[in-house]
Amino acid sequence: MQTETQAAGGPPQFAPGTRLREYETLFLVKPDLAEDLVDKIVERMRGIVHRDGGKVIKVENWGKKKTAYEVKKGFRAIFIRFLYLGGVKAVAEFERNLRMTDDVLKYQSVKVADEVDASARAVEADVKLPGDPEMPERPGREEPVGYGDSFRERDREPLEDDSIPPEVE
Amino acid sequence: MNRTEMAFGERSGGGGFGGGKSGGGGRGGDKGGRDDRGGREDRGGDMGGGRGFGRRKVCRYCADKNLKVDYKNAADLKYFITERGKIVPRRISGNCARHQREVATAIKRGRNVALLPYTVQAHQ
Repeated sequence: MQTETQAAGGPPQFAPGTRLREYETLFLVKPDLAEDLVDKIVERMRGIVHRDGGKVIKVENWGKKKTAYEVKKGFRAIFIRFLYLGGVKAVAEFERNLRMTDDVLKYQSVKVADEVDASARAVEADVKLPGDPEMPERPGREEPVGYGDSFRERDREPLEDDSIPPEVE
Repeated sequence: MNRTEMAFGERSGGGGFGGGKSGGGGRGGDKGGRDDRGGREDRGGDMGGGRGFGRRKVCRYCADKNLKVDYKNAADLKYFITERGKIVPRRISGNCARHQREVATAIKRGRNVALLPYTVQAHQ
């Protein structure tokens, strides 16, 4: 499976038909980190994937965004998404390095696809998004979204026909 | 549809048993409760006083094949969580089993990366 030949710096070359899994790792970086330091982390992570026989497809920097809840005493974070091909080792090494980096607040890896042809999958350009507009940090009133919590299961009176679905497909 | 209607007919025949089973709920009749609930879920339509099927909900993701469940798309998933941050049940959201499952996993993933809330406090 590991048929790559290490090219200095760039992604390794793959023989046609090399099958790798496609993973996606989203990680959160401290919001007050300087841009060049963020780029340094990104480049380091890219190198790690390539070293472990993977191939980085795309790196997205979503910019500074509001988090849905408090993460390490803050409500904002820089979101970075890595899309890459690799094996189990690449993911393990990727996550190990994220854990060691103090500026990384959170991370999550998800498998996107199995059996991707590494030589055919083209590398995409990096994306940089502006993030949320900078606003003074205050617990703003969230607009109510979705449905109210008016359907609590325990309020329901038991019906004797509960086994019959209320809406027959 | 037909099956449910038949069941309904049977039930109104032997309503006494059902009432006993539901036990000490201090509310009015069994029937009244059902009407109540129908209104709250705004199913609309009224078929002979019982539960109506005025508006059949269609799974959003089945209706639009191009729409993919994605944990990164917090804006779309917000539609499937309550003000409190709970996942909306299938009987309210109208999702099919497969897509409800996908939505639920996506919400949980979104929560993990702070794109969606685990919980929202009642007053802030």
